[in-house]
Formats: sequence, structure tokens, C-alpha cells
Amino acid sequence: MASRESVIVRVVLKRLVAALPAAGFGLAPATRRRAAWARALRRAFEELGPAFIKLGQLISVRPDEFSDEFVAEMRSMQDAVPALPAEAIRRVIAAEFGAAPEELFASFDNEPLASASIAQVHRATLAMPYRPVWGDTLPAGADVVVKVVRPGAAESIRGDIVVARRLLTRIGATRVGRRVDPVALLDEFGTTVERELDLRTEGRYADRFLYDFRDDPKVVAPRIVWSRSTAKVLTMEFMRGWRLTDIEAAKAAGVDTFALAVHGATAFMRQVFVYGRYHADLHPANLFVTPDNTIAYLDFGIVGYLTPEERMNITQVMAALVYRDPDRALTYSAKLGVDVPADRIEPVRAGLGELLDGTTRADGTRDFAHFGLGFLKLLGEHGIKIPSGYGLLIKSLATVEGVARALYPEIDIVKTAQPFTTRILGRAMGDPARLNERMPLAVRAALRELVA
Amino acid sequence: MTDDVMRFFAAWMLTHEAADEGLKAAVLRGEQGGAEGMTGGPDAFVDGLAAMVAEEKENLKRDLEARARGEEVSIEKQSDPALEDVRFEVAELRGRMDNIEALLESLVRKLGQ
Ligand SMILES: Nc1ncnc2c1ncn2[C@@H]1O[C@H](COP(=O)(O)OP(=O)(O)OP(=O)(O)O)[C@@H](O)[C@H]1O
Repeated sequence: MASRESVIVRVVLKRLVAALPAAGFGLAPATRRRAAWARALRRAFEELGPAFIKLGQLISVRPDEFSDEFVAEMRSMQDAVPALPAEAIRRVIAAEFGAAPEELFASFDNEPLASASIAQVHRATLAMPYRPVWGDTLPAGADVVVKVVRPGAAESIRGDIVVARRLLTRIGATRVGRRVDPVALLDEFGTTVERELDLRTEGRYADRFLYDFRDDPKVVAPRIVWSRSTAKVLTMEFMRGWRLTDIEAAKAAGVDTFALAVHGATAFMRQVFVYGRYHADLHPANLFVTPDNTIAYLDFGIVGYLTPEERMNITQVMAALVYRDPDRALTYSAKLGVDVPADRIEPVRAGLGELLDGTTRADGTRDFAHFGLGFLKLLGEHGIKIPSGYGLLIKSLATVEGVARALYPEIDIVKTAQPFTTRILGRAMGDPARLNERMPLAVRAALRELVA
Repeated sequence: MTDDVMRFFAAWMLTHEAADEGLKAAVLRGEQGGAEGMTGGPDAFVDGLAAMVAEEKENLKRDLEARARGEEVSIEKQSDPALEDVRFEVAELRGRMDNIEALLESLVRKLGQ
């Protein structure tokens, strides 16, 4: 362990020292300095392997906790880890099932389809038909992908977390984030990764997603083959299509990317506002468009949850965005756990007003990222802590907006949310408690109209 | 109750169909506003909502006419969400059983090796 510790320290120091000139030896303007340190850390993380790559990915979805430069740098982190030889993957499968891949599948492709920090993905075909939790039976011979946790990934990640935790405790509270307690963050990271290391969690969420979208033939997810899955091996339907990163190829093949952008964004709003469960790890590599014009969601590694009450409050914040009403945004953000101290309310409201005014683009569409990320930043500047769920949601909405706009530049993400938010507000009006409270007023107003 | 609130408003609107010019104007404005509905502020939001209720009212009207003809109506054809959920829970349980069965088979194979 001690040796791993010194490796970590050495790699980080080496990268930081190498970044000294770019950072003007600490004398460059703050943004340039931060950018230089961020790049150095990103390179160090890539060099240090899976635990750090995952940590970087987690940081990249937390613009509420880290500086813009840091988040941008971590987002560009390369997760294309060199592929392991098939033999190593086959050994994991054999250890999990007590049988070789050929005994479990009709065929197994030794050439990996993708290789990421935690898992490697291979193609295979089913030997027997399988009836999934939801959807049609997959016939024998169906194309599947087998996602396998890299051997040693779990152990090395767990080991690295222990070491990093010890290092951080020793260094004390370095200001890696705006106001994060690094040890607490690392612990949160530990739980997230632990969940991702058991692929069955991901599989269960994919099942649930298929069920939630059972009435929408345009939104799909891979069906899970539970008879060929364990904690370390997840077998699922192979999804044919183009990653959003290859969107030009999809367009050339005649896929209606405009319609898909709108539909995909609406599907996301449905996850947020109707189910309160949403895919929180959306990026262009996790979304496919298929030749028959559907959207396939992949990789449910990170999922965000919202209670009905939170959904209501988010709806109100959305309404605030539409009405350009900073007070409403503050009131409902407070209900979501954003605690603005009394002496900060004025400057925060002023900043919020400016943000809201700058949210409409020249073409009349609204720029959610401008508002959402700007709001998180504003809170950060005032030292106000943001509940992690709120930050994750705002980041996810901003990502969905980015992805949708790449497909369809004129899309207005706030508009796609509108049918859902209207319904939620409409329903809240029928809430018995609220009716009790407001009815007398409404009746009195009605009577006034009548006698007028 | 809250789920039916749109139906409730729709029923009210249906029975008051001829009466309220103000409401009709609101629906029209809401429809013209389209998905943009909420944009203009609280009033535009109410217009948008009125348009949605009007839509629901049309459904209700169709249902009532269908029922008069002795047909099944859409709201009754809708499967009970609670029952659907149970169906999913059972399916999910079946998935878990498949998974456990596979686990047992693996164990047996490993013991035999
Ligand atoms: N069901 C599938 N059908 C087709 N391709 C798939 C499928 N599942 C995964 N892939 C391919 O494998 C890649 C990696 O899969 P996935 O994102 O699930 O792995 P991961 O280890 O969780 O990656 P990340 O580190 O990005 O979270 C995907 O981007 C996709 O290209």
C-alpha cells in the first residue's frame, strides 16, 4: 500500500510541476492558473487508472462543487482504456459461471466492442431464447453484448480509495473544490462506484426504464438477459445504431435527427417530472439513434432520483425561468435545500435577475445551461452549498440541452418540459390541501364577479 | 383524486360549454400559444392550462358519445396502473429468479470441476 501511495503522490506532483510554466509559476491570472492545474490533474488521473478516471468522471458531473476549468478538463478525460486481451475477460466469465463463454453462448466475439475504465464489452449471440423482464422474447441466435468488469478493477478501485482517503486526511482540507470537504466527497464517490461495480444494479434500472417507456415505441433500452448475468457480467440485447458522436453517419442514412432531438428531450423530461428517476450519465456515447428512428438509452450506471415534492419544486424553478421571476426561483430553490443566508439574499437575487434576463437567445429560444450552470456558479461564488441532487439534475438538464441542440439547433429545452410542468402545476391545484386553502378566496372572487 | 383533476375540470367545462365566452377566449389564446403557453407569465399559463383542459374535454365528449353507442370508452380501456405495476414487479421477480437459477447452475458446475 505504501508504495501505491508514493506512486500517487509522485504522479500528481510530477504533473503539477510540469504545469508550473503554463500556470505562470502561480502568477498567471486565476482562470489560466486553474486551467493549467486542472489539465495537470486530468493527466495524472488518466495515468493513475480506473479509480481516478471514475473520480474524474464524477467531478465532471458536479459543476456545483468544482470550478468550470476543472469540470471542463475532467469531461475531456479519456475513458478509452487500452483493451485487455480476450483471455483475461474469458477468465472472468469462466470464474463467474464455471463455464467457458462458448458453453454459455452460441458464439462469443473475442474482439472487444468497447473498453472503458471499469468494464470491457464483447459481442455474443444467445444459445437459447430468453424471455426478458419486459418486452418480447429474445430468440436463440439474438445478438447480445456481454459487459464484463475488468479483472482486478474492483480491488484496485477499492484500494485506491483507501489510499486516497488516507492521503487527503493527512494533507487536510486542501481547496480542491469551491467548498467541498474532500474526504466527504471521496466517501460519496466510494458509494457511487461500489454501486457501479455491481452490474446488476444497472440491469435492474434498464428493466425499469423499459417498463416506464412501455407506451413509447420511440424510446428503447437494451433488454437484460438475467440467465447470463452476475455482479461482474451483464448480458444484454445488442443495440444497433449510431452513437450521437457519429451523428453525421446517421443523418446520411436518413435518420430524422430533428424529430429524435425533440422526442429524446421530451423522454428525458418524462423521466424527471413523471417518474422522478432519470439517467444521470447521459453523454453522446450513451445515446444511440437506430436505423428505424428510435432512441436507445445505454449505460444506466448513474441514476438520479427525485421525490414528488422535489419534482413540484423543480417545476416551480422552471416556471421561474419562464416568468423571469428571481423570487420564485429563490423560494423554491430554498425548498430544494439551497440555503441562502439572510445577508446574501439581495446580491443573489440581483445576480439571478441578471441571469434570467440573459437566458433568451437571439432566436427566441431559451438557454437553459446559461441559467442553470450560471445559477450554480452564482451560489458557489456566495459560498452557498448546493444539495448534490439539485446540482446533478441541473447538470443533466444542461447536458440534455447540449445533446439535443447538437441534433436540432433551434430546440428550446424549456418548452419540451412545459407539458409536464403544466400538468404538475395543474395537479397541484387540485391538491385537497391547497383547495382547502385557496377555495374560499376563489369563491369570494367568483361571487364578486357575479354581483358586479 | 389528483389524477382526475383534469377530468374534473373537463367535465365542468363540458357542462358550461356554451356559457363562458371568457373561457373560450382563454382556450383559444392557449391553443395559439401552443407549447409556448407558459411563457407570457401567470395569465398565459392559465390560458395554456385552459387549452389542455379543453383537449381533455374533447376526449370526455368522445367517451360519452361512445358510451351512448354502447362502446367501451378510452378511460375504461386504460389498464389500471396499479395492476400494471404489479405485473412489472412479478416480471422483475422472475428476472431475479432467472438470475439466482443461473447462479446455482454455476455453483453446481464449479463444484463438479
Ligand atoms: N447494448 C449495447 N449495444 C450496443 N453497444 C453497446 C451496448 N452496451 C454498450 N455498448 C457499447 O459499449 C460502450 C461502453 O459501454 P458502457 O457505456 O455501458 O460501459 P461503461 O464501462 O459503463 O462506460 P463508461 O465508463 O463510459 O460509463 C458504449 O459506449 C457502446 O458503444
